[in-house]
Amino acid sequence: MTAYKLRRFGAGVVFYVLIIGFCAVVLFPVYWMIVNSIQPLAHGMQFPPPLFPKEISLLPFTTLFDSYPVARWLVNSLLLAGMTTLIVLALAVLGSFAMTFLKWRGKPAFGLLLLMTQMLPEALVVIPVYAMYRNLGLSDSLPALSLVDAAFILPICIWVLKNSFDSIAEEIYEAALIDGCSPLGALIRTLLPLSAPGLVAVSVVAFFYAWNEYLFAVTLVTSPDSRPVAVGLASLKVMLDTPIDRVLAAATFFSIFPVIFYLLIQRYIVTGLSAGAVKG
Amino acid sequence: MLQSEVAEQDRVTFTRRPWRRRQNSLAYTLVFLIVAYLGVFILFPIAQQFLTSFSNNVVGVDNVTWVGLRNYERLMEDEDFWFALQVTLTYMAFVVVGAVSLGLLSALLLNRKFRGRNVARSAIAVPWAFPEISAVLVFIWMCNPTFGVMNVFARLFPGIEQNLNWLSDPKLAMPLVIILSIWKAFPFTFLVILAALQAIPREVYEAAEVDGANRLQMLRHITIPEITPTLLLMAVLMSIFSFKQFTLIWLTTGGGPYGGITETLVLRIYQTAFRFFDLAYGATLGVAGFVIVLGLTLLFVYAQQRQDRARRS
Repeated sequence: MTAYKLRRFGAGVVFYVLIIGFCAVVLFPVYWMIVNSIQPLAHGMQFPPPLFPKEISLLPFTTLFDSYPVARWLVNSLLLAGMTTLIVLALAVLGSFAMTFLKWRGKPAFGLLLLMTQMLPEALVVIPVYAMYRNLGLSDSLPALSLVDAAFILPICIWVLKNSFDSIAEEIYEAALIDGCSPLGALIRTLLPLSAPGLVAVSVVAFFYAWNEYLFAVTLVTSPDSRPVAVGLASLKVMLDTPIDRVLAAATFFSIFPVIFYLLIQRYIVTGLSAGAVKG
Repeated sequence: MLQSEVAEQDRVTFTRRPWRRRQNSLAYTLVFLIVAYLGVFILFPIAQQFLTSFSNNVVGVDNVTWVGLRNYERLMEDEDFWFALQVTLTYMAFVVVGAVSLGLLSALLLNRKFRGRNVARSAIAVPWAFPEISAVLVFIWMCNPTFGVMNVFARLFPGIEQNLNWLSDPKLAMPLVIILSIWKAFPFTFLVILAALQAIPREVYEAAEVDGANRLQMLRHITIPEITPTLLLMAVLMSIFSFKQFTLIWLTTGGGPYGGITETLVLRIYQTAFRFFDLAYGATLGVAGFVIVLGLTLLFVYAQQRQDRARRS
């Protein structure tokens, strides 16, 4: 091997060590969560804890459903996230259609309104919404909670979908109009089928926003029976006697779905999420 | 913004068709629907907060009256408010700088072609997709003073013989919350910056190579200028992310360990209304927060337009 080749080989090794080390550090919390949820509790409850599992036990996962109303939480979360997704899909399709294909005055103002909504901390709005819901007798209702969640994630979803509409040539839309479609007919028959990835992306974003959302859920839902998983999980944190293996088993279970779906649709939403633009 | 509006107008006159009128009213119907929806859940609550901030509404007090600017006078003199603002700015500054620079570094590292690049890319994207609640739960467990794995690593450093108390140590609480937030936030900046890096035309680098530029010179004179608008945009987005952040801080330290040393403005608002039941003053703090959001939004519009202009030219 010549000196040059040797140096290149050495640089390659250093590069891979760097990448693997960095990924290991980034993924460590995820790894630690999984390890502590698949080993017997005794291994985690000692110092120093073993860095690699010595024994695998699925007991935390199997006892999870007996110890806590996890099944109930899951049903609540599915209902909540499902309703949020439906509302967001309907409104985001209409909104980004108007933003992309229709001509009207006031687009920049509308864009600015969406942008401001997107920037708003949930904590600024939760107090008046809580008061409003209490006056209307809507506290503790999952559909009412999904309405708020949908309002908060709607702007981002409009940008994501607009991004996917933007890639459709305007001629296609105009051709549908010339063929006798009404604007909404053209939207349903030609634009929506062409933007399937965008629709999937928007559904994932909306679904897991409601799935993960904590502040509105913990404030607006009062009875333990209607808790979604996010609130149920966070309530385990407060109980000091909760066996950590089961808490982390629940957390693992809770995280699998968003991680898989987000990574699958990642390339469709990254541009949209950073593009919340006032492009008029 | 204005230029594109003019262009839009031109196009409108060009495509004047019989159905234009109907289409126009359709646009306004759709937009009205969305504005009304956001109105009920976002605009109306904010307007209500503005009104409440001029009253003395406290839970349990019967005669609620208008008190003019009294809450705002209190705000000016409220040391807790200024302290919370200071905490917020510190937290924001560290998260913005940390998330953007870590995102930039990892994007530069992964911009090369190598075997397993997609795996590494997905691995780094995981924290972005990871739920905040799960992150909090495992983080608290890692920081457990008795069994936490953080102490295993801490003890590798010379001079640390005792287990540390992590989240209840006033010196460590803020850095830990910041690290957790950066961990959650930087993968997003990584993904966006990587996309920006890959959009730089290869010919530019080839030309520079012909001219005899070395790697460092290329980084300084080509890569960094090309992605500056993206970096600026990410800095603004990260400042919004950190300003909004509630769950990560609330569930790890709750604003403590004591004296509100990790209590950002958003937490303070929540506490004032839901723990001290002072709705009027909570609303006043909310208005202050709203003013900051407005400022950040304008900054975002500016950053966005800069990036847009850079892309077009």
